[in-house]
Amino acid sequence: MLIQDNLFLTRTDPSGQGGVQFLYRVKDYGLSALSSPQEEISMIHWEVEIIKFTNPDTADFEICHTTELSDKTLKFYKDKSLNEFLQKAFQYFEELDSLEKMLPKES
Amino acid sequence: MANVKGAAVNRTAEDEGKAADWIPGTERQTVVDPMEMFHKLPREMQFITGSEAARESMRRANIDIAIAYPITPQSESMQQAGYLYDEGYIKEYYRAEEEIGTMSAISGASRAGVRSLTATSGPGLMRGMEAISSWPGARTPIIMLNMCRVINTPLAIQPDNIEMSFMLNTGILLLHAENQQDFYDYPLAAIMASEQVDVTLPAVVSVDGFFCTHARGPVLVTPEEYKLPPRDGWRSAVPAMDNENPPARLSRDAPIQKSNFISYHMHSSWQQEVFAAVQRSAKYFRDYLGGLIEVVNPGAEEVIIASGCAVSQAREAVRQEGEKGRTVGLVKIKSIRPFPTEDIFNAIKHAKRILVPEFNQAGWLHKELCAVLYGRTKGVIKGGPRVFGGMTMPTEMVLEWLADIRKEVK
Repeated sequence: MLIQDNLFLTRTDPSGQGGVQFLYRVKDYGLSALSSPQEEISMIHWEVEIIKFTNPDTADFEICHTTELSDKTLKFYKDKSLNEFLQKAFQYFEELDSLEKMLPKES
Repeated sequence: MANVKGAAVNRTAEDEGKAADWIPGTERQTVVDPMEMFHKLPREMQFITGSEAARESMRRANIDIAIAYPITPQSESMQQAGYLYDEGYIKEYYRAEEEIGTMSAISGASRAGVRSLTATSGPGLMRGMEAISSWPGARTPIIMLNMCRVINTPLAIQPDNIEMSFMLNTGILLLHAENQQDFYDYPLAAIMASEQVDVTLPAVVSVDGFFCTHARGPVLVTPEEYKLPPRDGWRSAVPAMDNENPPARLSRDAPIQKSNFISYHMHSSWQQEVFAAVQRSAKYFRDYLGGLIEVVNPGAEEVIIASGCAVSQAREAVRQEGEKGRTVGLVKIKSIRPFPTEDIFNAIKHAKRILVPEFNQAGWLHKELCAVLYGRTKGVIKGGPRVFGGMTMPTEMVLEWLADIRKEVK
């Protein structure tokens, strides 16, 4: 089972393909972890995207492939390995938020 | 009558090739009151597939015999049942020749007074339908898990619940699971309701195949050391056959099988009693499932009514509408038979616009709702969106239909 820290939303996959999507959120960044139906149980895995939320009040987000965490969609076959990645990502997002606040704001 | 009140486990460690101290799983479990199991026992979260959720449900269901024939997407669940047989949680288990054989054999097992479980999908259900439609009249409280899939040509193995429409008028109790959690909870509730003396009917728990059976989801399960009470074959509308004192009588009243005036009346009253028993089961499902329907945002003017996986897609649409400041209601129908007419009517009293999304071409739920709500609601009931043949129902599709009905009905 995935960790519940920073879990923002659990929902069925909005694409309608079946399966469940977990959305994690730390400030403006987060992760989408999607587990979809597979023909064999052993093939079931997590498809993980780093995401950037576009609205502070809703679950609207864009996929973000420009962070140091990853520039592509990630796959995890075990909850344990994804949980380890989540913990690192949460820490990274906190630091990223601090760094972004230090940048001069666009006028 | 050793074989009536729960079958004896006659499997020895030696027979099974197990260690000498092997004890069948079911003998290590403690019987618990159903209401205790459904509402009071602590629960642990597991992240498992629908097939695995069915396995955990079967583990706690005190099942005497399971018979099935493989068909996608059901095969995975009955493979799991095989593991339970190996562990000693299911007392007897075998693969039948095909579905007519399966559904006939399970009927015989149930008539003998033991708790009997089978499972099938789409074309398998169609093949076994002759035997299945005889179950209610025979008053056999069989539990069948039904993992819905496409039944028509061209061949497909993807989700489509048209097959449920074939069971609507058989006298079978019919539940529709939304997700893995329901596929754990509903079979347990269905077993207990179906075996009540004033019900004594078969029960089917349908789920949309693949989306639930082959995907993982969070499921809260009760401790595995507890199980349901065993079936008492004598506590039935039609008592179990006494197989130890042959000849056993298959039909309750021989004249019913003749072709004459009296037999027609007898048959007619028999069927009336079956459908009355379906209605009587409602009170048990209310207790076990906490209601026949679930209502989100009661009193809304726009309401989505759905069952099965369509509920999940509607749930997300309702959430997204909420983000935009619009309140859309949702009525999840848990029980298709008995059909919760009054519950639905009370839930949609203020509705002006009602949408019924479905995973089938025929729109059987829409027709059902129109039939029972005709003349009773001022709301416009629109059937759709409908996807079938394995198509998906993205949330955007539900949102588009909501936008359309909003324009059409002011």
